[in-house]
Amino acid sequence: MSCHETRAPDVDAEETVALVGCPNVGKSVVFGALADRYVDVSNYPGTTVDTTEAAFDGRRLTDTPGVHGISSFDEEERVTRDIVLDADAVVNVVDATQIERDLFVTLQLLDMGVPTVVALNMMDEAEAEGVAVDAEALEDRLGVPVVPTVAVDGTGIDTLRERVDEACAPDSTPVSRWFDEIPDDVEATRAEKTLLVEGDEPTAERVPTGDIVADGGAPPLADVGRREDVYAHRRRRVEGIADDVSAREDRESSRAEWLSDLLLNPLTGTPLALAMLGGIYYVIGDLVAQRLVDFLEVVVFGEYYNPAVESAVGGLFPDAGWAEPLEFLLLNDSLGLLTVTVQYMLGVLLPLVVAFYFVISLLEDSGVLPRLAVLTDRGLERVGLNGRAIVPMIVGVGCVTMAVITTRMVGSRRERLISTALLGLAIPCSAQLGVIMGLLAGLGIVWWFGYLGVLLVVLGVAGLLLDRTLPGESTPLVTELPRMRLPRAGNLLRKTHSRTKMFLREAIPLFGATAVVVSGLQYVGGLAAIQRALSPVTGLLGLPQEFGRVLILGLIRRDFAAAGMTDVALGPAEVFVGLVVITLFVPCILSMTVILKERDARSALAMWLGSWTVAFGVGGLLAVIL
Amino acid sequence: MTGVLGDVDPGASVSIERVPDDDVRARLLRLGLLDGPVECRHRLRKGPVVLRRNGTELALGADLADAIEVTPAEER
Repeated sequence: MSCHETRAPDVDAEETVALVGCPNVGKSVVFGALADRYVDVSNYPGTTVDTTEAAFDGRRLTDTPGVHGISSFDEEERVTRDIVLDADAVVNVVDATQIERDLFVTLQLLDMGVPTVVALNMMDEAEAEGVAVDAEALEDRLGVPVVPTVAVDGTGIDTLRERVDEACAPDSTPVSRWFDEIPDDVEATRAEKTLLVEGDEPTAERVPTGDIVADGGAPPLADVGRREDVYAHRRRRVEGIADDVSAREDRESSRAEWLSDLLLNPLTGTPLALAMLGGIYYVIGDLVAQRLVDFLEVVVFGEYYNPAVESAVGGLFPDAGWAEPLEFLLLNDSLGLLTVTVQYMLGVLLPLVVAFYFVISLLEDSGVLPRLAVLTDRGLERVGLNGRAIVPMIVGVGCVTMAVITTRMVGSRRERLISTALLGLAIPCSAQLGVIMGLLAGLGIVWWFGYLGVLLVVLGVAGLLLDRTLPGESTPLVTELPRMRLPRAGNLLRKTHSRTKMFLREAIPLFGATAVVVSGLQYVGGLAAIQRALSPVTGLLGLPQEFGRVLILGLIRRDFAAAGMTDVALGPAEVFVGLVVITLFVPCILSMTVILKERDARSALAMWLGSWTVAFGVGGLLAVIL
Repeated sequence: MTGVLGDVDPGASVSIERVPDDDVRARLLRLGLLDGPVECRHRLRKGPVVLRRNGTELALGADLADAIEVTPAEER
């Protein structure tokens, strides 16, 4: 096999190996099998995309988001492209059952001159499906090592580990025929040249262009792009290779396909989806958000942790006046840094985050998620979203805080804004919903439907308005449907663990800072002043001034507001108006903290003020009507 | 005879002839869906269309499917 190392390893820097491949090809399983020890999950700088790194034979191994090509169609692709451009070698994981799809990435990597080893994964599934792939023939055709693997049971992993050293790329590939179109004075590597002739804009902006910029006005490299020619040519090469090295037998459709068909047919898929939503609601909204959290808050923190900390830490402070504010900051009952703040983080947020990431990983790994998106696409399109926004909406009924994180998967910035705003505005979380249902049950079923109706109208109108007013257009649903399969427990746990860890690492400092600010405000009397300032608003709603206290409680925790309502003597119409207001009213502090972390400060503030306006507007209107 | 993807019946095979959006066209091309005939697996009423070729399945939103021109392909 003739091979040419295109990049001399940098002596000083640690050598990096990137794992690259399409989504759902088993990259993370290969990663887990290759890694010597687990190192770190982190956001790729400047993005919301998380990448995992580990040590591997003295090198650094990086897992990349699954992509169908090295390009810039979305944030994941940009992250993968940047990691590939920096990597010394790539392990390209290919799904043996789908080599017609996956070899596009492989050939693109080789065109770029990236030293590559191919892990031909899922050989067992290929055999079961009647797909025969000749790994040796593929190695001959590609000119780089090809190692057949079944990553889930470790088959081929040792060979793969040994052959990473042989990673290479052919000296020249057919893509070079387009390199002539790049002006001579452009300094670009072979990888960059490949991306340039594919019209990759970020590369065109980054590559030094000599003095061409001075001559022309328009971006000099924008015209070089021959994306469709290059892609079409590469597709023909893929088809040629796939025809030569693989054969596909016609088999009867498998059980996975049967299940997929059931899910995609609205007649059977809708009840199945509703049953799944019910299951998710039961796990996140009831088992975890209610029972487990209740137990942790009432028993673990209420009876043991908080009293213990209060007596232990409280005893340390002298009776002097200077110590009082500090003691208040650390131990106060609303948001003390060592008591209630810790209770929220460990007793409320941690169990929710774990449960939530587990359920999401389950939906992801089983292939259910994109099928739910297909089922709900039409409805969500009407409010400027596409089917992928179904996940935040489902999770939101369990816990809005968690749902805000899932808005990462809904596509463009515009769609993330719309879904976050709708979540913050009109989706009641399960903690609050329990108390609200209790209060409404006392009023009668008509009020319950009235409550749901008002929320749906607000959701629809707000979605339509945001869709009309925000710049840009909603992106259409374009989503691959991976094969449905039974998720692996190990993989689910690893995903849940790493995502939880990363989330908490970012959220804890932010929440701590929020707690300090709120406690400070309370100490200097700021909260009481806010309550007084709210009296015109409560008047507008036709509610007594005590309702101001309910609103302030709602700032801290939505269910506190709902619970606070039970203390205020109100008539049925007043209860109804009050409940609508506290539902539409600002999301709780945890949600706000996450919104602030996931979006920018300006959007968060706009959502905050928007929620106030809508809540009091709709509440005032209802007060007049009723 | 050309029609739009949004009108194709489930089970029928078609060749995709014209995709108006550059980025969507490039993504379909990458996945191999422009290489030859694709099978329409599902079409939800007023909803997305699901296509399949060589075991790769892709769902496209309704508005997008209505903008994509296709011609019937020979049954294999």
